[in-house]
Amino acid sequence: MSQTTLRAGQWLSLTVRRRSLVVAGIVVVGILVSAVLTLTLGRLGIALPDLVPAILGSSSGPDKIVLGVFRGPRLVVAIAAGAAFGIAGTLFQTVTRNPLGSPDVIGLTAGASAGAAAFGLLWPGILPLPVGALLGALAAMLLVWLGTGKGFSSPARMLLIGIGVSAMSLAFVQFVITRAGLEQATVLATYLNGSLASRSWSDAAVIWASVAMLLPCALLLSRRLQLMEMGDDQADSLGARSGQTRLLAVLVAIGLATAAVSVAGPIAFIALTAPQIARRLSRSAGPNVALSALMGAFLLTFADLLAQQLPFEVQLPVGVLTAILGGIYLGYLLVAQWKKGTV
Amino acid sequence: MASAVPGPDAQAVPTAPRLSARGLRLAYDRRVVVDDLSIDIPSGGFTIIVGPNACGKSTLLKALSRTLSPAAGEVLLDGRPLASYRSKAVARQLAMLPQSPIAPEAITVRDLVGRGRFPHQRLLRQWSAVDERAVEEALAATNSEELAERYVAELSGGQRQRVWIAMVLAQQTGLLLLDEPTTFLDIAHQYEVLELCARLHAEGRTLALVLHDLNQAARYATNLVVMKAGRVVAVGDPAQILTAELVEDVFGLACVIIPDPESGTPLVIPRAARTGIRHPPVAEP
Repeated sequence: MSQTTLRAGQWLSLTVRRRSLVVAGIVVVGILVSAVLTLTLGRLGIALPDLVPAILGSSSGPDKIVLGVFRGPRLVVAIAAGAAFGIAGTLFQTVTRNPLGSPDVIGLTAGASAGAAAFGLLWPGILPLPVGALLGALAAMLLVWLGTGKGFSSPARMLLIGIGVSAMSLAFVQFVITRAGLEQATVLATYLNGSLASRSWSDAAVIWASVAMLLPCALLLSRRLQLMEMGDDQADSLGARSGQTRLLAVLVAIGLATAAVSVAGPIAFIALTAPQIARRLSRSAGPNVALSALMGAFLLTFADLLAQQLPFEVQLPVGVLTAILGGIYLGYLLVAQWKKGTV
Repeated sequence: MASAVPGPDAQAVPTAPRLSARGLRLAYDRRVVVDDLSIDIPSGGFTIIVGPNACGKSTLLKALSRTLSPAAGEVLLDGRPLASYRSKAVARQLAMLPQSPIAPEAITVRDLVGRGRFPHQRLLRQWSAVDERAVEEALAATNSEELAERYVAELSGGQRQRVWIAMVLAQQTGLLLLDEPTTFLDIAHQYEVLELCARLHAEGRTLALVLHDLNQAARYATNLVVMKAGRVVAVGDPAQILTAELVEDVFGLACVIIPDPESGTPLVIPRAARTGIRHPPVAEP
């Protein structure tokens, strides 16, 4: 049996797949290693023996600043934003029954970019950039919702409309950039790539609060979402109410993805890749909410570690790295689906 | 409301039907597929619904299983409107296998069959010994025990259909609705599925199937429902209702009907004269 049941009394019994548990353990170790390396490597790194005292708050001087200002918030934001992207991705992919149905593809991230561009350059000073991104993402999702009709009930249409909305949003971003001055355009470009540089503890609070609120919702929905993988009719006949489940899942996913985008910028491809890698490693069907969250957290912290430590003249925004890695993966996925005849 | 007014098609059945429909109108958006249809699914019977393509038979099955809500009229389960039950409560009474269910990626047979247990489970009680036993029984009933640990994706068409039926059996319902369970199967596997259904019926379950093959329907049904253009045109024992006139009227196919030499049930033989070819030309070597 590949599945273990945790029992407590007669009324509590939760099923856990052994392989998923092992994979989760390994990914958690991966996150911890990336976190320690993020804090200790490089010119400003905290020496390993000083790390525990620094975290416990008993050190002073440069270590305190490195942990409290430079790298601590950045790391903490990366973990939660990665998890948020991962959960949003697995929810969207399950609802659309398509690995391409991630916030990157269906227009959410592009909408966030457009919002950031609009409020960063076109009408500067009205709203802060992250709030602009949030509004852009919501507007894009509203367009997709209107275009799909009947509460996202047609996954294929949702993908097509999403790609259209995505293209329109990116065209809008280009339009704004052509009208901007060079310096402004550079600032915007950094944000649009998605960057974790100079995050604050208030960013961390926003994203952790969002994950803390929405992760339980995702977990509650995950059993019904499992049934939706078998088609709406089958899910309905098993009593899983597909229409309601889809709508709730999409709302939770939008909440998580917009929260992540607003603190970290539209970081590409974490939402697309994390659930797919999680699924392939755990070899299990269904939305692997917890595992996708961990995988997203790992991918983003690891990518940000690379972004900080790779020997470039300037620090790369982490979004450029994830875009390169994710782009390769997306290509692989498209070829694989094309061979299977499902795209 | 609960006092059902018998529709024009209501048949005298020995026990009250557990599932029935009164004055159904079924539509996709504005397109009405079925209008003012009433039907009983006799308890303990093996009902088979036949009819030409697009006559609304699959749509009817969807309405009976609550995957499609009617635009008018109602479906009654044990005398109460289906819509008044909670979704999971319906799913504990009535199981439905759609025409083309989607097998999730990377799922084993055992896990897939286990998903049929959802209506019996609760958030904090996800898997019990009862669930375990139901899955084992469903696998045994469909002769699929040896497939349990395999991935659904690597099964053949016949094996896959058996596994899907195991999934609805794991739901442990008295009522089973199957939409064209033999489609895409070769003839041997078609009969394997039908024999399985006959066995489930013999064990006391109430079955309703949509089928395309009239001869298979006539052989297995205890209650045949013939539909045409969204209406029920004939209901009853296949030996009594399946006539050449009915087939000509419903399918537009000229035929003769002889007794099936194997089972004695009606056997529909299409008339050869219709194509004008009695002896197909032998191909040149």
